[in-house]
Amino acid sequence: MPMLTRRAAMIGATAFGVLPGLRLAEAQPRPGMLRYGLSVWPPNLQPWPSTGQAAGMIKMLVHRRLTTFDAKGELSPQLAREWSSDDEGAWTFRLDPRATFHNGEKLTAADVKWTIEQVAGERSTAYYRAQMQQIERIETPDAHTVRLVMKAPIATVPLWFANYNMPIVWRGTRDMNNAMGCGPYRISGQERGSWIELQAAPNHWDPGLPRTRTIRMTVYADENLRLAALQSGDVDMIEYVPWSGMAAVEADQRFSLKSTMGPFMDILFNGTKPPFDNPLVRRAVAHAVKRDDIVRVAFSGRGKVLEGMPIVEGTPAWDAELARGHRYDPERARALLREAGHPDGFDTTILSTGTFNMHKDTAEVAQQHLAAVGIRAEMRVVDWSTRVSMGVRGQYDLAVHGVSADSNDPDGLTVVLDTSLSPAHGRSFRLSTPRTVELLRKGREEYDPAKRVQIYKDMQRAALEEVPIVGLAWREQGYALDRRVTGFEIMPGQLSLSSGALLEFVDITA
Amino acid sequence: MLWLARRVGVSLLLMWVVATIVFLTLHMVPGDPAELLLSTGGVVPDAAAVAELRDRLGLDRPILVQYGEFLARLSRADLGVSLVDEYPVAEEILLRLPRTLELIAAGTLIAVAIALPGGTYAALHAGGTFDRAASAIAAVLQALPVFVLGTLLILVLAQWLRWLPAGGYAPLADDPGRHFLLLLLPAVAVAKGLAATVFRMTRTAMLDVLSRDHVRTARAKGLTQARVLRRHVVRNGMIPVTTVLGLQMGTLLGGTVLVEYVFNWPGLSTPLLRAVEQRDYPMVVGIVLTVSGLFLLINLIMDLLYAVLDPRITRS
Amino acid sequence: MRRLVFPAALVALILLAALAAPILPLPDPVRQDVANRLATWLPGSPLGRDEFGRDILSRILWGARASLSVAFASAAIACLVGTTLGLMAGWFRGAAEFLAVRAADVVLCFPPILLALLVVTLLGPGTGTLILVLSILYLPGFVRVTFAEVLSARGQDYVEAVRALGAPTPRILSRSVLPNIAGPVLVQFSLAVAAAVVVESGLSFLGLGVVPPTPSWGLMIRGARATMEQAPTYLLYPCLALTFTILSMNLLCDALRDVVDRKGGSRIRHPRTWTDRVLPGLFPARDPAPLLDVQGLTVEIATPGGIIRPVEDVSFAVRAGSTLAIVGESGSGKSITATAVMGLLPPVAQVTAGVARFEGRDLLGLPESERRKLRGGAIAMVFQDPMSSLNPVHRVGDQVAEAIRAHREVSAEAASREAVELLKRVGIADPDRRARAFPHELSGGMRQRVMIAMAIANRPRLLIADEPTTALDVTVQAAILELIAELQRERGMGVVLITHSLGVVAEVAEEVVVMYAAQVVERGTVAEVFARPLHPYTRALLAAVPDGDAEPEGIPGVVPRPDAWPPGCRFAPRCPHAAPACERMPALEEAGERLVRCVRWRELAG
Repeated sequence: MPMLTRRAAMIGATAFGVLPGLRLAEAQPRPGMLRYGLSVWPPNLQPWPSTGQAAGMIKMLVHRRLTTFDAKGELSPQLAREWSSDDEGAWTFRLDPRATFHNGEKLTAADVKWTIEQVAGERSTAYYRAQMQQIERIETPDAHTVRLVMKAPIATVPLWFANYNMPIVWRGTRDMNNAMGCGPYRISGQERGSWIELQAAPNHWDPGLPRTRTIRMTVYADENLRLAALQSGDVDMIEYVPWSGMAAVEADQRFSLKSTMGPFMDILFNGTKPPFDNPLVRRAVAHAVKRDDIVRVAFSGRGKVLEGMPIVEGTPAWDAELARGHRYDPERARALLREAGHPDGFDTTILSTGTFNMHKDTAEVAQQHLAAVGIRAEMRVVDWSTRVSMGVRGQYDLAVHGVSADSNDPDGLTVVLDTSLSPAHGRSFRLSTPRTVELLRKGREEYDPAKRVQIYKDMQRAALEEVPIVGLAWREQGYALDRRVTGFEIMPGQLSLSSGALLEFVDITA
Repeated sequence: MLWLARRVGVSLLLMWVVATIVFLTLHMVPGDPAELLLSTGGVVPDAAAVAELRDRLGLDRPILVQYGEFLARLSRADLGVSLVDEYPVAEEILLRLPRTLELIAAGTLIAVAIALPGGTYAALHAGGTFDRAASAIAAVLQALPVFVLGTLLILVLAQWLRWLPAGGYAPLADDPGRHFLLLLLPAVAVAKGLAATVFRMTRTAMLDVLSRDHVRTARAKGLTQARVLRRHVVRNGMIPVTTVLGLQMGTLLGGTVLVEYVFNWPGLSTPLLRAVEQRDYPMVVGIVLTVSGLFLLINLIMDLLYAVLDPRITRS
Repeated sequence: MRRLVFPAALVALILLAALAAPILPLPDPVRQDVANRLATWLPGSPLGRDEFGRDILSRILWGARASLSVAFASAAIACLVGTTLGLMAGWFRGAAEFLAVRAADVVLCFPPILLALLVVTLLGPGTGTLILVLSILYLPGFVRVTFAEVLSARGQDYVEAVRALGAPTPRILSRSVLPNIAGPVLVQFSLAVAAAVVVESGLSFLGLGVVPPTPSWGLMIRGARATMEQAPTYLLYPCLALTFTILSMNLLCDALRDVVDRKGGSRIRHPRTWTDRVLPGLFPARDPAPLLDVQGLTVEIATPGGIIRPVEDVSFAVRAGSTLAIVGESGSGKSITATAVMGLLPPVAQVTAGVARFEGRDLLGLPESERRKLRGGAIAMVFQDPMSSLNPVHRVGDQVAEAIRAHREVSAEAASREAVELLKRVGIADPDRRARAFPHELSGGMRQRVMIAMAIANRPRLLIADEPTTALDVTVQAAILELIAELQRERGMGVVLITHSLGVVAEVAEEVVVMYAAQVVERGTVAEVFARPLHPYTRALLAAVPDGDAEPEGIPGVVPRPDAWPPGCRFAPRCPHAAPACERMPALEEAGERLVRCVRWRELAG
């Protein structure tokens, strides 16, 4: 009975107590209520540990950070109205005196100090634990001023405080699963794994926010189903629009697509054993893969080739020439292999996960192109957990990965490119790329914007030779929304995954 | 009663074995819950933070210590809390299980409503047009994998025709109409395989009963056709059908995974899949134990029911 | 067997396609051609290209290899290991039984897909894991089937005999037991293969099965699902391939099961079963208005091999108060004759000629509702096997009462009381208590008495008894016959007694009809027929009756099957007096008071 007739469906519906006159599939947007299709359930909402972008979005709406990014991706004030660094290399933040927690307590410098101490604490599991441990001491000269004295000069401190894993929490909070925040929304209800509902916090201290009273987020883990939910009117807006469906969304009068080139795919190496401990071989890999095929297959054409280091186009450190430093050139790849002593190529493995199609598809295309130059890689497709575990333990030769940097500042790439950091599934394993690492450090400590640009261009040059990663493709990150949903923009580049912060500006017209 | 006590005892023993196997396997395969949690979305976590979380979750202790603790907890009927968000496993199961059961019940209802009369009618008119057509349809349905059917149903009914929502769930209390509307497609998908099986089973059982001598006796008594069917065919034929139905329902407990996945039905499978992905040990063990416990319970009930339906069965 | 051919051919075709994939002129299934991704048709790619621009036809054929090799390998492993475990468990019992059966129970605690999902997620996807998990999944089936079969085989005489001779265990197992369990195990194997294909595709669909880029149907459906709006045909082909394969395999399983498991093969009609079961009954009549007058009764059954005629031109009549016996070997058509008169023929069998007048009305022409009123009312029937003829799930008192209420407007309570009376009348001690018993709680003789009580509940004028004593032991037989005779005298019923025992006929009947291969071969009074049998078959039957100390002479050969009747006299092949004249079909001739169907009866009588 695969083909129900409409009549049969109606009869069925009536039999189930759904009387005629009731909408069957088409639900209408309602003012004051945004229905949002989540791609994944936030594992937990503890403020500081990183548990993904879904959790991040909710944390951004429920909490406030010292700084934030505006719709254009520019760093802008949030709890801190202004900030500056002094000659000592210390950073001073001046807090907005209006800020009030949901329990009515005023935000003070003590809350900021307490937050930083918790994040940097010995027992901390926070994402920014290592960064906060770079802070020598925290001074609170008055209730609305925080001065951070750094162990070493760091230029990117204000960026840290814009990250969604750095919300400022009321210092009286004990249960971290219910941390007290001062954002425009409060969690009003949830069902673990299915939906979560946010209600506007009463009398929010920042007038005019939020624009929409209620946001109801429902998980649609399957991307096609998520899109179908939008198309059938079950939700007003979805994140992670499947690439294969983007064209359909654009073509449909009822919807608009907000998208940007955001996260990227790359290949990681195991540096502890031949042949990938040899930079020549890594460069051969870099020149062997035809990125265009990945963009077309894994992302249905909704992506962009990435033939250099993942510096966002249009940002100061971007350079047209460097961005093509690893351009597709199989001849060159073969030559590099010969030079490296592998004239006949070699057999190896490529690790990927079947949990995410884009990882699997990217790996399949890469595998084919690597084979064309003689690198015969056998696919290892495992579930995501195993992928992470094997990545951290270096149980692979080549691995395909997809990630977004912390920000559009080149320093945001440190987590990906700095191979001197502890082993992680998203970094090449114990690879030696000394010049890249050193230049990343220099850039982090340089306060002069012009000099930083120069340093990061050098860093790209070094990285093109040392090959800590092989960039493959930028992927288009998209949100699809009903036309009646206004006020939402996607943030550029690596910040695209933080765009959920802008939901507080969203209006719904009837 | 001794029989029952023994059955229950054996079932409990089996569940202990299941719990142990699942617990030990989970702890031995790759994947570390702390590492995974902090790597959500592909981000690269700080190694020290991971180590700290692992310590906090007690994952560094020797496995036997963890196992002992697990058994102690289990003996108090405490399934523990999720490693991911400290949510009580029992609460999650209590929330989700009814939905899976509802899905199974709705699917069974549809299947039985179609297949029982259909199978009986086909048996009574064996070889006729209806019989041949229905048998062919049943064979095709049985061969049509549930994820294929689900995918096609969504493509046609939700995306092309936009008659039905693509999937999801609405609580009965909030919006009963929508609740049943959303239930419709997944229930049909669940019913598909079941209907085919029940149809075939009913048809076979009825044919078998129809050919039995006692049916001839009943007709020789001059009973009306309806009465012969009701009292001497259907009742007897229901015995094997009931058993098969019960076993099928047991199998469905774990078998709704694909349906729940395709239709985004928030039953027990979603948290199980997610828990396995996240290596959320207490959640996985809790759900598996619940499912296999129910499975054993259904089997037990079926045995009891069988004894009631068929007086020849003695509980020896 | 014929049923096997079609599905087997389908499965063979699929297997062949899978096996031949490497030598067929197909594009490389893993070669990507991104420029042509999702093309619906290209030269050389009749089914188009997938999302990587790979040839879909080629991937479907190669995908068959992946699916089927996983399925067969896992089913084979499960079969081998499971059968061995089951054999050991069944043969040695004790610890081996405990371990094997309990291990199977543990596996069965997990719903199958759940188990597969857990193992694959935990061990990582891949062909090896798939084979492992699927073999574990299907292991219990083999263990249980083998175990049960061995247990039953152990108890059989021939196995006991071989054991007593001191044959070594492995030899007994492999020579005596294995061949007997081969059928069920084969069925189990085919089921496992079909189920494995389903589970494999499901797991691959979830991304937990076959590792890409190896083609697999589940993976293809997963891939096509993402692009189903742009390229619906891409989704269609692997779905079709998968469904078609599973369908073929299911059909093969069904057919195999029918062939192997005849007990469960009620879907196939074995005409012989029916011929064995049914009965005729009656007499010629001297009186102007016999109670039952059957003339030229012919029954046909349509079988796949053509139309057969288990009853052909049968005539006889019964008078009130008298007893007519119909005798003949199994397969002669006597039971079908009786069933036809009762209107209880199975749907495949049809009366195509003749009349059966009961008290002047033609039964065969009556509407079903009228016939129903007669059945169990004026005409009642007692069947051969009282165990199977009573409904096992209802109490016997209720079953008797049901017969009463089918014909008379009485209260349930009154009917129950009357049922107890009837049980008492047919000689059941303690009828109150027995009325509440289920059939399986009664002895065979008592059950037959219940059947008789049921039959006489509405004071029938005609009682048809179809081998009422065959299933009973000798002393009980006599008592039952005595009961029938008594009731007949008491109520003046006409009785048609169907039997293969001439001894019984001599005791109770006045007239006899001898049937052979669907035809009446001799008819007359018992006294005459027994004293001077005219037909060689009657003679042979009489000779086969134990008579004093003389060794009975068996009749050589068996009744021919209804689809293989000799063209002339049907008894000729077994007849010691067969002559060339017998190659023509003899007519039923009058021989004084009698009728006989033999061209040579005159010379033989002489």
